[in-house]
Amino acid sequence: MLTAEENEALCRVGPGSPMGNVLRRYWTPAFQAADLPAPDCPPVQVTLLGENFVAFRDSAGRLGFLDELCSHRGASLVLGRVEDCGIRCLYHGWKYATDGTILETPNLATSTFRERFRHGAYPVREAGGLGWVYLGPPGTEPPFPAFSWTDAAPEELLVSEMIMDCNWMQVQEGSIDSSHVAILHLDTLATMGAGPRSVGSFDFAGEPWDLDMPVPRSGNGGGPDRASTGDVPQRSGGGWPSEDNAPRIEVENTPFGFHYAAIRDVTGDPGKKFVRVTAFAMPYTAFIGGAGSGAVIVVPRDDCTCSSIGVFKVPKGTGGIAASRRAGGVEPAVWGPEPENRRIRLPRQDREAMADGRSFAGFRGGNRVQDAAVQLSEGTLYDRAKEHLVPADLAIIRMRRLFADSVQRVAAGDAPLGLGEDYDFARIAAASAVIDTGQRWQDLVPGNEGAGKQPRHR
Amino acid sequence: MLWLSVVIDNACTQLWDAWGNGAARTSLRVSPAVYAAVAAERPGEVARQCPLTLLGLPLVADPEVATYEPVAV
Repeated sequence: MLTAEENEALCRVGPGSPMGNVLRRYWTPAFQAADLPAPDCPPVQVTLLGENFVAFRDSAGRLGFLDELCSHRGASLVLGRVEDCGIRCLYHGWKYATDGTILETPNLATSTFRERFRHGAYPVREAGGLGWVYLGPPGTEPPFPAFSWTDAAPEELLVSEMIMDCNWMQVQEGSIDSSHVAILHLDTLATMGAGPRSVGSFDFAGEPWDLDMPVPRSGNGGGPDRASTGDVPQRSGGGWPSEDNAPRIEVENTPFGFHYAAIRDVTGDPGKKFVRVTAFAMPYTAFIGGAGSGAVIVVPRDDCTCSSIGVFKVPKGTGGIAASRRAGGVEPAVWGPEPENRRIRLPRQDREAMADGRSFAGFRGGNRVQDAAVQLSEGTLYDRAKEHLVPADLAIIRMRRLFADSVQRVAAGDAPLGLGEDYDFARIAAASAVIDTGQRWQDLVPGNEGAGKQPRHR
Repeated sequence: MLWLSVVIDNACTQLWDAWGNGAARTSLRVSPAVYAAVAAERPGEVARQCPLTLLGLPLVADPEVATYEPVAV
């Protein structure tokens, strides 16, 4: 649980808020690079950390990320013309360069003002199919977190963004939570693995219910892999070799945040254990064991809206992005890749299928839709004074701890945790594997190195 | 500000360490400030005479316990 004061401090992200000050000290994914496909293409509006911006690509292909409203009289630059290496406000024609330089002020003949004033502009770079920005104080930019997928060519990446109308922390907590997987996502497991699948009195009555759902490949394979091959979804066998719904959790801090193992008994084999290792790179990015070669990024748009962005490498020779999109969880009727379709519209919960034993959760569309259903159900901003955490929530508890410590550090003039200076972020890995009971799970992810001691609370 | 995030993280780590060593834990001793904060945030539970808990363990206020160093016993 959190006190009401602490809940506010950790969840709200606007300018000047404790957590807003923390998040502004990291490179933040702001928009999809594909939304600005060519020089001088239409700009896009971006709400990020409770502020409004305009993103554009100038005539030379450079990205710009500026305060949305014109410095003159506040018209939105999203309405503007992108031309001749700048963006021009429609209202009185003021024109801005990507660095915020005011290039022209047609209704002001003298140049003194534009030579002395600069519009709000922020460092921006393109990587991993995303536009990343730095909103922190000038001169405090940390090294860019070059993950294993951030240098991949756009055609090698599947980027799927789901916009959700709830506070980002609810979604982030879900993305690093392992103990719900074998319960909420029971329908998915039924398509993956042999053997009985049950929670409480619920047992699958027969064949998997949602045969069209995106299904992670067994073992370390990724979500996009399987459907991109055109396989008809069916039981793959062995993907989830455990009926243990109370995993043991072991957490270690790392230079980038933390990683943890959810350790389950293996059904019928006491000499083995089923381990899912998830890595959390502060403050947005989760590398989820068994979810493929990519990451899930949760970014607050404002206090009540967030984006959950999946970024996965598309295996070569498997049909490319279009064929993989569905496996990434995109459901045309529920959410889709087009900007106007990214906000999730939850499907009707199929109570009939739940009652007759065909479905546990009753939500078609796979894990991300099921996750969205429960996370949205918590309300716009959940009051965590009402929750009752259990030890299996340790990953969530640790994430909050690192955020709380970072709030303290930034308030004291220090850098937040997890910037990982001198650490190679490309080494971050997740894993999902059956190993001997005596084997260390850390050996599955040697690049995550550095089980550091948590800094003492101030 | 009182950071329950820190209190709970420290307590939870203790629990997993204890269970890893085969030991049971049945209550959580916390500072009076932590106990009071939990009680203040959960008036409904107090009114229903439910025991105040964190991590499934009943809380015991102990003035010998430091704010951020709960003790699972």
